[in-house]
Amino acid sequence: MNEHPNQTLNGNPEVTQRLRIAVVGGGPGGYAAAFLAADLGMQVTLIDPEVNPGGVCLYRGCIPSKALLHVAKLVEESQQAKNWGVDFPPAKIDLARLRTWKESVVKKLTGGLGQLSKQRHVEYIQGRAAFENSTTLRISKTDSAEVVLSFDRIILATGSRPAIIPALKLDSPRMMDSTAALNLEDIPGSLLVVGGGYIGLELGSVYAALGTRVTVVEMLPGLLPGADRDLVLPLHKRLEKKFETILLSTTVASLKEDGAGIRATFEGASVQGKDREELFDRVLVSVGRKPNSEIAGLETTQVRVNSRGFIEVNKQLQTADPYIYAIGDVVGEPMLAHKASHEGRVAAESITGHKVAFEPNAIPAVVFTDPEVAWCGLTETQAEKENREIKVAKFPWGASGRAITLDRPEGMTKLLVDPQTERVLGVGIVGAGAGELIAEGVLAIEMAALAGDVAMTIHPHPTLSETVMESAEVFFGTSTDVFRPKRG
Amino acid sequence: MESVIEFKLPALGENIEQGDLVRLMIAPGAAVSEGQAVMELETDKAVVEVPSSVSGTVKEILVKEGDKIKVGQVVFTADNNGAATVVTENRRPEPTVADVAKPQPPASKQPESQPAPQRTRSTDVPAASEFRLQELGENISQGDLVRLMIAPGAKVSEGQPVMELETDKAVVEVPSSVTGIVNEVKVKEGEKIKVGQVIFTLQGAGSSQAEMTRPQSQPVEHVSGQHGARLAFQAAIRAEGKTEEQALPPDQPMPRPAAFSMPIQLGKVAGTEHREAVPAAPHTRRLARELGVDIYEVKGTGPGGRISEDDVKAHAKAALTAIASAAQAPPRAGHFIAPKLPDFAKWGKIERVSMRGVRRKTAEHLAESWNTIPHVTQHDRADITELEHLRARFAPKAEQAGGKMTVTAIALKVCAAALKVFPQFNATIDMEQEEIIYKQYIHIGVAADTDRGLLVPVIRDVDKKNIVELAVELSQISQKARDKKITVADMEGGTFTITNLGGIGGTAFTPIVNHPEVAILGLSRSRMEPEWIGGKFEPRLILPLSLSYDHRLIDGADAARFLRWVAEAFEQPFLLSVQG
Repeated sequence: MNEHPNQTLNGNPEVTQRLRIAVVGGGPGGYAAAFLAADLGMQVTLIDPEVNPGGVCLYRGCIPSKALLHVAKLVEESQQAKNWGVDFPPAKIDLARLRTWKESVVKKLTGGLGQLSKQRHVEYIQGRAAFENSTTLRISKTDSAEVVLSFDRIILATGSRPAIIPALKLDSPRMMDSTAALNLEDIPGSLLVVGGGYIGLELGSVYAALGTRVTVVEMLPGLLPGADRDLVLPLHKRLEKKFETILLSTTVASLKEDGAGIRATFEGASVQGKDREELFDRVLVSVGRKPNSEIAGLETTQVRVNSRGFIEVNKQLQTADPYIYAIGDVVGEPMLAHKASHEGRVAAESITGHKVAFEPNAIPAVVFTDPEVAWCGLTETQAEKENREIKVAKFPWGASGRAITLDRPEGMTKLLVDPQTERVLGVGIVGAGAGELIAEGVLAIEMAALAGDVAMTIHPHPTLSETVMESAEVFFGTSTDVFRPKRG
Repeated sequence: MESVIEFKLPALGENIEQGDLVRLMIAPGAAVSEGQAVMELETDKAVVEVPSSVSGTVKEILVKEGDKIKVGQVVFTADNNGAATVVTENRRPEPTVADVAKPQPPASKQPESQPAPQRTRSTDVPAASEFRLQELGENISQGDLVRLMIAPGAKVSEGQPVMELETDKAVVEVPSSVTGIVNEVKVKEGEKIKVGQVIFTLQGAGSSQAEMTRPQSQPVEHVSGQHGARLAFQAAIRAEGKTEEQALPPDQPMPRPAAFSMPIQLGKVAGTEHREAVPAAPHTRRLARELGVDIYEVKGTGPGGRISEDDVKAHAKAALTAIASAAQAPPRAGHFIAPKLPDFAKWGKIERVSMRGVRRKTAEHLAESWNTIPHVTQHDRADITELEHLRARFAPKAEQAGGKMTVTAIALKVCAAALKVFPQFNATIDMEQEEIIYKQYIHIGVAADTDRGLLVPVIRDVDKKNIVELAVELSQISQKARDKKITVADMEGGTFTITNLGGIGGTAFTPIVNHPEVAILGLSRSRMEPEWIGGKFEPRLILPLSLSYDHRLIDGADAARFLRWVAEAFEQPFLLSVQG
């Protein structure tokens, strides 16, 4: 989008007078929308309770967790180094400094966003917004002043918050949600992670690396529900070593404060009928996230919220109220920052009058555990559900030179290919750095690449990215490093 | 008391034995009523919505989206008592399958507890209880309701097409902005509907009103041509030179608050909700959107069906060309899409014969004339008693020369003289240039009844020939026409036409002007009639005259004057020599 603002706004009298836009929520969706709106010539106000833009992702989500996961990986590799002939003494964790470093990362990034807001002349209001009507917001500033402002369009980017299971609600400082877990108050001796989704596994991995005995309990029969099982398997195997216990098909029947800790009672397959109790120093509840659609005064607008709490929008991210747009977690799954940013940009462009729509062919999902799990486009699970004929080409990392040099041969790269057109429909990767590798898959799908295109693209050697190329070669039965002739 | 009924896929139409299940619109536990659409099926021919023929509560669904479903296959089972127990007390006991299959369904089956799929947070209005026609596009304030796709009792959901409207610009499918059960439909097919008018109301929650069914449980075809219509709509507006921003409401933010926003539903064309990822790069997809092209309509020419920018442009161009040529061509009679004909064989034996050649040309040409020219026919009568004497006298002379002294031959001379006096009858209208073309020559066509059909040979420079010459020429060319030796050139260039049905009979008729001419004179059979002359009735030979003319160019008074002049010329042939 290098269009000059004046150029793109010509001809639209409303816009030439500069549309006034409010963006409620300063997360990756909100600030992406606000910045692009400003770049497109609109007069933008960004409202968020934090000092700077950033939202959950930067303050209490993706960014701090990745900083900690980086440390966790370092700690683990320092121990694994023994196998490679390098002996490190056991890691000594200075929690205060770790926390400070993590906070510095957050501060640096959010401060940068604050700078970018100023440079773009985005008016940043620290506070909370409530609707007076479809175009008017009453904003309670953090400095306690209150302003009522009117806008031409409002973009809601209010995000989501950790979901809670009412039955497991326990008023105890030992109870944590993801936000509290990222605060790193201490390194508990034992931690119960309720929920085997990506948040629980990422944060569980951090605490495990810091020395905590981690137990994960998941209601469904596998970790990372929704992901293809073959991608989860290598992670599961590794986590079994890192974690104390992984309880599948199991639920927490009750949580009770019990002197030195929290007593959890489990029910389900892994406890085989009999009640199993265990005492934990801390409990992390990570059972998903809930959209923040309970916006004060929303009932004065035409915005519609569905039964799951998501705001209903069309492909232009416009709500049932034509003056109001909504983006990010508050409009639906997947609740991912990169989806929110893309939606934010579509909303801003749509408001300017561009003919755009949110219609990606692939949204990547990445779990930043070790190994990482990443996928995009069609999954095998989904193809099966839709009874869709696909060919799956898998390349095991055991055949990758780069993976062997890293001593991480447990990974796997697979392509889901349409047997008729040979078009790449989905990509799944498990292994070290899978999150970085998946971008190629997203591009392949968005460009409607054929397996042949991927196979005939020269990939640098020796890298893990070669596994993408080689999995395409596997599809044709001609992979250099795997002998698996094509059948049929 | 409970009986389980099965809903099997009904016959979908001729030669359609199966279809792919595109969308399932019911779920176990849901109330279903006869006539309610339960799924969308894609057949070879179109995507059709299949209405239920049963009523009750869905028990088990035996198919899933993506399945191929054959006619006769069980789609779901329903418990036709379950739902009724929730609401109804006055139902007949022990319904049988046969009961349910009858067109009159049992009483209400809409459980009160059915949750509305959408929760509204508005405090003043509890929920959208009616659906009004929303803006259709710029300068479109109304449309004719071509087809209604809902009926009282039918379940309607947001985005579901509910009717087809014909606007000035195109036929558009109008999707609902509300979800619920249709209570009352307030419009009828054929009505003109204005933006803002209430189309239907929804049943309030807990309404005890009995559900009505659609009159028929036939599958409703609703997608075929729909994309085309949408494209045509888009392209048509573009063809008018409007900007795309104005032209395409779907992608425009609504500048006006309303409970309903066009983008929401135009994005949701039936059967497109679960569209697969299209094989086109993001940039190509955006280009398509900007051009108003539905990328799913574009055929990709690249490997694996990949759609390139060129494919999108070619598609848009083709769509535009089609629209432009359709817009340029005047509504050609023969090219009008005629309403569908009934199956006449139902009522007896028929024979179909190709309508090529003269008949088709005649049909096209006359329909074009009829559609272009505002016709008026002026009638008069001429006393040709004197003329008849003259005719008898000069007949041998004409015969000598090889012709036949007919009334038509004399009429040629009379008309040529009249056209000189009234030049606007010898003209053509050029609407495009906004000019009238006066012809400085007088070529008169004479309609000839041949066994090939109606042919109109033209006699040139009629004003420069005497009656005998005209009689001879007329005889020759008529013979040529009957002998099928007439050429196109012989029938071109006429400025006026005479048609004489007197040989057959009749007292008057309304001939159709032979476009691009502006007038035609029809002659009927002359008869002896009593005329009041000099205080008494006298037997006189009277020739009925019928002049049809193009009222765009010729005023009624002029036409009356012209015809009177012609009548007088017949009555007093002397005038011809003086004035003609």
